[in-house]
Amino acid sequence: MRGFRIFLVLILIMTYGYGCKQRVITQPEAEQQIQPQEEITQPQEVIIEQKVTTVESVESKDIQTTNYVETKEAIFKDVLFDFDRYTIKESYKPVLRAASSWLMENPGVKLSIEGHCDDRGTNEYNLALGDRRAKAVRDYLVSLGVPSSKIDILSYGEERPLCMEKTEDCRARNRRAHFVILSKGE
Amino acid sequence: MKMKDWLLVNARYAGKLFLLLVVFFLLAVPSGAKVYIDITSPAFKKLPVAIFDLQGEDGEEISGIIREDLDFTGLFDCVDRASYIESASEPFNPKNWTPLGIEAVVKGAVQGEKDLRVTITLFDPFEAREILKKQYKAEKGLIRAMSHSIANDIYAVLLKRPGIFRTRIAFVAEREGAKGIYIMDWDGHGIKKFGLKGTLVLTPHWAPDGTKIIYSSERGRHWSIYMLDFISMTEKKVFSSRGVNMAGDFFPDGDSFSFSSTREGTSDLYVFAVDKKRLKRLTSSYGIEVTPAVSPDGKDIAFVSDRGGSPQIYIMRSNGRNIRRVTFEGNYNTSPSWAPGGDRLVFSGRSNGGNQIFTVKPDGSDLQRLTEKGNNEEPSFSPDGRYIAFSSDRDGTKGVYIMRANGESQEKITPEGLRAFGPRWSPN
Repeated sequence: MRGFRIFLVLILIMTYGYGCKQRVITQPEAEQQIQPQEEITQPQEVIIEQKVTTVESVESKDIQTTNYVETKEAIFKDVLFDFDRYTIKESYKPVLRAASSWLMENPGVKLSIEGHCDDRGTNEYNLALGDRRAKAVRDYLVSLGVPSSKIDILSYGEERPLCMEKTEDCRARNRRAHFVILSKGE
Repeated sequence: MKMKDWLLVNARYAGKLFLLLVVFFLLAVPSGAKVYIDITSPAFKKLPVAIFDLQGEDGEEISGIIREDLDFTGLFDCVDRASYIESASEPFNPKNWTPLGIEAVVKGAVQGEKDLRVTITLFDPFEAREILKKQYKAEKGLIRAMSHSIANDIYAVLLKRPGIFRTRIAFVAEREGAKGIYIMDWDGHGIKKFGLKGTLVLTPHWAPDGTKIIYSSERGRHWSIYMLDFISMTEKKVFSSRGVNMAGDFFPDGDSFSFSSTREGTSDLYVFAVDKKRLKRLTSSYGIEVTPAVSPDGKDIAFVSDRGGSPQIYIMRSNGRNIRRVTFEGNYNTSPSWAPGGDRLVFSGRSNGGNQIFTVKPDGSDLQRLTEKGNNEEPSFSPDGRYIAFSSDRDGTKGVYIMRANGESQEKITPEGLRAFGPRWSPN
């Protein structure tokens, strides 16, 4: 009985002590370690650059490595599109007919069609739209007899504008399919 | 000590004693769990708090950061120091504060020059007790991170929920014609650029544990998806194929992510599991499908589709089934992103000739417009759902802004002259 009492007193002292602490909610936590990798504190204007190593990665099989070189000047006029549209207007069909004849006469080259958009809208949607514009032009050329293997497409969305003014004229020029001749590299 | 004696007398009733102890703890707990601000209540009032400049050389700077953090939340009223009756060196006396209606008082001191040691005490004048006492240690270069940690602890004690003051925002910025991935503290400090190849990169997406991001970049005439690991500081190409491949949100498992790809014609949505290298196609429509946003529970995906004639927000199950349209107002709604509670979507919609930020319930009801001027795009919620980061060109140059989730307190956080966009708030 005596032993049990001592035991109880001990329990009480412990729990009562704990109870007190609980009431005063002090949290005497030792020290909080601030993570060293959070060492990013710099004055706002200073932008520090962090080196990143690119590790080897697996290439997907359906990607072909192009060993073509871009020529700087495009010999065909840009095909322009309406806002949020990818249909080829009648007025551009003669340009595309000329391009198809030229392509068939020059077997050593490949044509890259780049799809572009104006700055309105969001760049992800615009990249998908630019892709669709480039594909619309490719499909038209293929329908004229150009082998699809001679055509490469690439969308830039709104990422590579021709002009930066916020005018309708500038925006119209940016909504384009642009042609680049890729010649065989070494 | 009366209680002890009483309990001793009744020692034979050991069973009852335990019950009494349980009751004792139950009585003790509620005072510790006092909620100072109930942010779920529509009638909540700002909590008046007094934050002393910590004593010591860097004390003013640390307290300044804590005040800025608490101020931005819109939940606290940091009372002007001129009205304090008590001085920093005097011991805390609740009677100095209750007449002013101040509900919490922060006092503390900082020691050291290179290695800072900070002691903080948070008092409740109305209950006349300490509610937090804690020590912090950090190198001087980490003074902002440490101050944010202190603000987080104060916030957590007063609101019973975690603060976001140590979170970061990943974004895209353009310098000298090249776009790159950047990261900064949520308040715009500590901007860091990552040295990556390529000059075109899209909005990054965080892994749920905050240690990695994925993004798309055009390199060598291909749009592929890359993963940047912040711990090893390495970058790896995780997905590539023909066409434009654009990274979307991760799933909660942290391994698989959603993305859009034009590999099979027009842009469709896919899921890729990185470890298993397993690809699953979710949509196959004639229209454009982009920007998949995975719901916090991983069960739904919000996305943009032009299948109805103009880009609109849709939601489907994560297996690609049950597609339904969410937005009906306006003819250009893009960039959906989920609130962390899964109860709202934020997106960018064209309105009055510009793009504005809206929130809406996933069932399409309760549409709210949050911005007015310029073009406001690419919104992303903070992990506690109380704030939204977005890009805006309202002052001429695109920059990253933050605001409260109700549209209040909109402020630019990226520096003047840095073209910045595509912000994504870190998950932790």
